[in-house]
Parts: sequence; structure tokens; C-alpha cells
Amino acid sequence: MPSDWSTWLALAVVAAMTYGTRFAGALLMARIETSPRIERFLESLSVAVIAALVASALAQAGGREALSVALAILIMAVTRSAIGAMVAGMAGAALWSYALP
Amino acid sequence: MKPVTVTIAGTTRGMRRLLPIAIFTIPFGIAFGAAAAERGLDPGFTIAMSAIVFSGAAQFATLDFWGSHIAYGSLALVTLAISARHIVLGAAVAPWVNQLPLAKRLPVLVWLSDANFADSQPAFRSGETDVGLLLGGGLVLWASWITGTAFGVIAGRAIGDVATYGLDVVMICFFAAILAGQMRVRSAIAPACVGAVTAVAALAWLPPGWTIVAGAVAGGCVSVLFHAE
Repeated sequence: MPSDWSTWLALAVVAAMTYGTRFAGALLMARIETSPRIERFLESLSVAVIAALVASALAQAGGREALSVALAILIMAVTRSAIGAMVAGMAGAALWSYALP
Repeated sequence: MKPVTVTIAGTTRGMRRLLPIAIFTIPFGIAFGAAAAERGLDPGFTIAMSAIVFSGAAQFATLDFWGSHIAYGSLALVTLAISARHIVLGAAVAPWVNQLPLAKRLPVLVWLSDANFADSQPAFRSGETDVGLLLGGGLVLWASWITGTAFGVIAGRAIGDVATYGLDVVMICFFAAILAGQMRVRSAIAPACVGAVTAVAALAWLPPGWTIVAGAVAGGCVSVLFHAE
């Protein structure tokens, strides 16, 4: 693969997309007058985006991922530690892979 | 509300909070570096890509494009679709980030990604006013992403499949835990459910990436439409 100007140009295209989108949300909101309604929208948006990420990943995965996520939620509910929940989920996934090769 | 700031102390705190997550994401960097090396990408270019782009999902998607004839248009569309959720994340942190002067705002947004957003957003909503939390989390994730990529480029496939160690579920478990924590606030339950259902239903119609945006916006609309004034 040639590491010439065309590759770097393509990299610039990719970077423009990732940074354009990173800047766009906050810059857009700076131009909109905030109201309690908009604040409520943003509040729900921030919860819904994480819910959407988890749900669409689970929908495209199998029992192993569902078990891991269930374990993570359980540990989070008991210990309130997101890191502990993550480790428990990983352990669940590793055990599943070990038990059902 | 206290004025929003971005301090070194807050940034350090953000780094510490996300360090465990960042360490567990190193294998993904390794996987990316190895995959890029396998396709014949120049080692320096691959590491530069991780440093410049800092988006695992977008970078993996680009792997199909590097060749003698690069389809710039498709490359732009694919990476836009995968990155579109950044717009939602940016809008959601805007009430805090936009209180900073523009010169401080943009550097913070450079390191905006899913994991540091998921960590900082609940903190901001419980009264945290130091945006350094978001920046620090982003920096530590960025450092581990570059480190992982460099290892992957050099050591190649030595580590094997990340799924063996359960490392592939790190992010989804972390996000699920954050989400579960947020469900203590009752008004968050309906938007989360609508967001989840919409994103899954949209898998049949929308290209990957846009499904997340559709779910987020649908969930956001719920509270606006069904809120008792």
C-alpha cells in the first residue's frame, strides 16, 4: 500500500468526519436558545443514546453478551461500582467462552 | 450552579476514573494495529491514524478502503454514519461545555468519545462543574488507544482473540452499568426504553451508526412530548 499523499488525504477525510461531528453538537446548541423543554430533551437524549448503544449491540450479539450485560447490571445494582460491574461482565463472558468452546 | 471550569485537578480526576476502562481497551488497539498491519498499512501511518482520528469504530470501518484507489466519497459517508452519534454526545454535554470560552471548548470536544461521555454526563447532572473530568477521561482513553495500536503494529497477532478473555464485552458492560445507575431517576426510564427499542427496530432500515442517532433522538423526544407542564 502506498503511503503517499492520497492516503494522507483519505486520513484527513476521516478525521474531518470524526471531529466535525465531535464539534457539531455543542456548537449547534450554542446557537439555540435554551429552555426547560430543551434541557429536558438533552437530559433524555443523554440517557437514550447509551440505551441505544447497549440495545443495538445486544440485538446483534448472542447469549454470551446478554449474560455479561445481565451480570454487569446486577453488580451495578448491588455495589454501585461501574468498574466492578464491568469486571463481572468480562468474567461472565470469559467463563462462557471457556465452558462452551 | 457553580461556574463551569476546566482545571488540572479535574482533568487528573477524570484520568483516574477512566484508567481501568482505558487499560482494558488496550487490546482493542492491539487488534486494530494487527488488522491494519495485516492489510499492509504502513506502521507509522497506522499509529498516526489512531492518534489523529481516535475512534475505534470509525478506524476499523476504514480498513476496507485503503488500497491503490481510495473511494473518498464512500469513505466519508461510512465514517460520517459511524461518527454521527458524536453530535448527540456533544449536544448532551453542551449545557456544561458551552459555558467555557471557545478556546477551551474545542480542545475538550476533541477528546469526546462514548466512554468519557458515559462517565462524565451523570456526574455533571449530579452537580459536577469541572469539565476536566470529560477531558481527562478522553486523554487517558486516547493514550491507551495509541499505545495499543503501537503494540498491535509491532507484535501483530501475538495476543490472539480478545473474546477469549471476555475483553470484547468491556464497553457494552460499562455502558450497561452506567445506564443501570441512571435508572434510579424515574424520569430516565421511559427515554431509555424508547431509545433502546427504536435503535433495535431501526436496524432493519437504517445503515449502522444512524440507528444509534435515531434511538437517541426518539428517546429525547419522549420527555418533551409526555412531560406534564
